[in-house]
Amino acid sequence: MVGFFLIAGVFCLGYLSIKLGKMEVFGAKGYEVYAVFSNSGGLKVGSSIVIAGVEVGRVRDIVLEDYQARVALTLSKDVKIQEDAIASIKTKGLVGEKYLEITPGGSEKIIPPGGKVRETLPPVDIEELISKLLFEKI
Amino acid sequence: MVPPMNRIHLILGMFCLALIFGKPAAALAGEPLDQLKGSTDKVLSILSDPAMKGPGKVKERRELILKTVDERFDWEEMARRSLARHWAQRTPEEKKEFISLFRELLERVYADRVEGYSWNKIHYDEERIDGNFAAIKVKIFTAKDQVIQVEYRVSKKGNHWMVYDISVEGVSLVNNYRTQFNEIIVKSSYQELIKRLRAKSVQN
Repeated sequence: MVGFFLIAGVFCLGYLSIKLGKMEVFGAKGYEVYAVFSNSGGLKVGSSIVIAGVEVGRVRDIVLEDYQARVALTLSKDVKIQEDAIASIKTKGLVGEKYLEITPGGSEKIIPPGGKVRETLPPVDIEELISKLLFEKI
Repeated sequence: MVPPMNRIHLILGMFCLALIFGKPAAALAGEPLDQLKGSTDKVLSILSDPAMKGPGKVKERRELILKTVDERFDWEEMARRSLARHWAQRTPEEKKEFISLFRELLERVYADRVEGYSWNKIHYDEERIDGNFAAIKVKIFTAKDQVIQVEYRVSKKGNHWMVYDISVEGVSLVNNYRTQFNEIIVKSSYQELIKRLRAKSVQN
């Protein structure tokens, strides 16, 4: 009897950690595309990808490639991304975590699985912009 | 073991192969940047031309600059990308009207900034070519010694590399207008957007 509760407890713990950690056990549902950013500043594996504020996927991987950040995105399979869609790294609030926003384009061409989101925008460095504003007054 | 003579042949052969097949893109490198630089230099020379200075010359000068900009900017592509998914629903006449209103809007917004030019130096940072697309990073040094980072996105149309988006400090022009236009169209209608664009153009 004790053994049963122990096993049930371990199972629940496992389930919780997977759910809370937002890991995928049986392979991610959906497809993968990639995007190259000149700077991925603060984006992490697991960061959410949104369109119009709705989460449509997650960042699966970030690696350095030719001194740029190559970000692999897992998108849910019912979401289609046009070839001229723009992927930009945004911040939740002023100092919150980073996420990736996609503004859909109007092209008839859809990025296939494994394809590349060509239009990307690095995060805007608020600190730098503020300092530029300040320095102009001198 | 390969005899020494053969080894030299082998190395030479490999060298020739590398020359023929190695990086065909390298031969093209510089073309987008050269063309963009050509247009920018032309605008700068118009701005610094003493014959073009003075209040009487403002209109003529602006027309000359616009002509140069028209040669390098793909207005249709910019307008199409900015209108994004609403573009396909427009009739050819509406598209034509939209392109001209969009061009007027940008002209109004940017002409003053370009004419109030106090750029010290333009530094062409790097160029990344990917097939028929390229991104060119430029640093503009102002008279106050500030650095403004600008990135041009160009695509190849025939023999010309045409600009279809500009980002200033990581803020993209197309993305900015795409969000704004979408908001207006979704909240009210495309007609409302045209009304606003027309009203802006009359103001000027």
